[in-house]
Amino acid sequence: MTQLSVRHLLGIKNLTENDIHTILDTANQFKEVINRPIKKVPSLRDITIANVFFENSTRTRLSFELAEKRLSADVVNFSASGSSVKKGETLLDTVNNILAMKVDMIVMRHSSPGAPHYLSSRIPANVVNAGDGTHEHPTQALLDAFSMREKLGTLVGKKVAIIGDILHSRVALSNIFCLQKLGAEVMVCGPTTLIPKYIGELGVKIGHNVREALQWCDVANVLRIQLERQQIKYFPSLREYALYFGINRQMLDELDREIVLMHPGPINRGVELSSDAADSQHSIILNQVENGVAVRMAVLYLLAQQ
Amino acid sequence: MKLLLRSVRIIDKASPWHNQVKDVLVEHGTIARIGDQLEAETAQVKEGNGWCVSPGWVDMRVASRDPGFEHKEDFRSVREVAARGGFTDVLMLPNSRPVVDSKGTLNYIRQELREQSVQLHVAAAVTRQAEGVDFTEMIDLHRAGAAAFTDGEHPIQNADILLKALLYLRPLNTLLINRPEDRQLTIFGQMNEGVTSTLLGLKGMPHLAEEMMVFRDLQLLAYALEKNDFEPGTEKPLLHLSLLSTARAVEMVREAKKKGLPVSCDMAAHQLAFDDTAIQDFDTNLKVNPPFRTATDQEALRRGLADGTIDVIVSDHSPHDEESKNLEFDHADFGITGLETAFSLALMHTGLAVEEVVAKLTSRPRQILRLPAVSVVEGSAACLTIFEPEAEWTFTRSYSKAKNTPFLGQTLRGRVHGILNQGQARWF
Repeated sequence: MTQLSVRHLLGIKNLTENDIHTILDTANQFKEVINRPIKKVPSLRDITIANVFFENSTRTRLSFELAEKRLSADVVNFSASGSSVKKGETLLDTVNNILAMKVDMIVMRHSSPGAPHYLSSRIPANVVNAGDGTHEHPTQALLDAFSMREKLGTLVGKKVAIIGDILHSRVALSNIFCLQKLGAEVMVCGPTTLIPKYIGELGVKIGHNVREALQWCDVANVLRIQLERQQIKYFPSLREYALYFGINRQMLDELDREIVLMHPGPINRGVELSSDAADSQHSIILNQVENGVAVRMAVLYLLAQQ
Repeated sequence: MKLLLRSVRIIDKASPWHNQVKDVLVEHGTIARIGDQLEAETAQVKEGNGWCVSPGWVDMRVASRDPGFEHKEDFRSVREVAARGGFTDVLMLPNSRPVVDSKGTLNYIRQELREQSVQLHVAAAVTRQAEGVDFTEMIDLHRAGAAAFTDGEHPIQNADILLKALLYLRPLNTLLINRPEDRQLTIFGQMNEGVTSTLLGLKGMPHLAEEMMVFRDLQLLAYALEKNDFEPGTEKPLLHLSLLSTARAVEMVREAKKKGLPVSCDMAAHQLAFDDTAIQDFDTNLKVNPPFRTATDQEALRRGLADGTIDVIVSDHSPHDEESKNLEFDHADFGITGLETAFSLALMHTGLAVEEVVAKLTSRPRQILRLPAVSVVEGSAACLTIFEPEAEWTFTRSYSKAKNTPFLGQTLRGRVHGILNQGQARWF
């Protein structure tokens, strides 16, 4: 297997196209591993990884933890609630204390954009960004790309619509970088207040009509409405959002061809996605979750080689 | 003290010796003689190739951390960095703790300000605690020696408060300083809103937030002067807009001045050193407010400096301790220290000739602040800055208590050699 050009996975922006292919190809092999009766390999037997989560997470943390365990790494978990962060300890002190216990890699989720970048320039361990505020969520973009590639064969020339709260989404930004590097065309679609003013300059199409976006795309990646990250009002109500920007089964059935429906989870059922759409044959949402473990195994494995 | 400055170029448009190389003899804090090959006798002689002398520089915007935040900067350290930056006079914002919002606090600070080579002038708050709600006792503060009025780091949000303050202050012939920022439009903002903020996932501060307030403040100023024996002229303005950073803001002030509104403005010396693309690596030393804007804005700022729309260059010296800066970007405080680098940055980035830079550091701020004019002429008080525009120097050590500057380690052009003021000299 080839090597990555980076020591840390801070964001997709820092990866080359080659890095992305290396990770996806490696993930393919790990996907085969986790579907064996014995789902474990000894690759990271000597490595200790800390999952440091300063923001709530269920699936990302579980997915990383399973990926680490399937690679035979030793795993410790740290979450901010009830921790010393509330006593006023700095990020750097918290992480240095963890590293003093001989930890080799840090997987971190943090509410501040750039927090993993800040950390990576100040500590010796490898850093994996598991989501930094409204900036990037690179492993999500990689598992999305993996799932699309698995379903469609290639991403070159494919059209992907990212629908929903683009403004507060780290998934959107990482997906845009990743999809563009892999040759796909990207549209972002949502209420004007949830589309960043300057996003068009990243080379994406901008839409505000969900039906038109669905008609245009091969893949619809529907984002969660991040109510918890909206400290300011961006739209009047969830009811109105669901009525005018939500996706249901009927809208999918009316399309003249079949599209792939994705969602990074957790779904607000009845808001951005109706249940009959989320559970339809269009949906590869649970495949995304399965692929998440394989992709994270690939990332950890490749970074540990550095 | 008897001091001879040998063969120095005089940079002072108000002096008959402007741009001439002369000897300047200073005796007992006064410029005794200006001429050629003056006898030194008992005088201490200072000379150097390419040295210039101008009236002492004035910095109209220095964050006061004393009292209350002495671990960031105190009177002693701010004087040291001001002197090293060539400033003989600085105006301190009222945002200490307590805020300078009463005669008691003002007097407490002023008793610290004995005659020294760097004069500290104190701006008093417009509103109590600089919270923008209740007025301070402005006449009382003015009589007690407040050099200007401003809520400093807190832009005045309430239009009625600003209007009433302008009306109330107008008969006092004093200055109201406001930094234009609509804080509802910049809430949670971390940097200029643009492609870079989008790429970094950082909440942007739109240029509109500044421009709306420049528009509002100018309208309020015009309204305050209506039916109020309006005197056109911007010599001694009533309103001073601080830290302009956008193209449209400059344009609006230009138009207002054409109409004769008594308004002046400044910009920070560091504003032209970076544009918003420099923040790629989340360096918190580049986190300032107003934020670094775009190349287009910088071009407009340069034009505004060149045609006189922007009157003054300030350092916007904002010292912070490491605990406030060595953090995640959105947790870090805004601001960089500026006193030591302001002159060099102004010289390097504005495209202005030396004499124009100096005018924006001395004669214009003195007029605006109603400080006594000083000039390099015989008989004038020796309030002087001695500097070498062509000299390069490396900023290896900051004398501020704070170290939040992106310029540390850089080689800059334009070096300060010393200041003379109040009969005292400092040489570097």
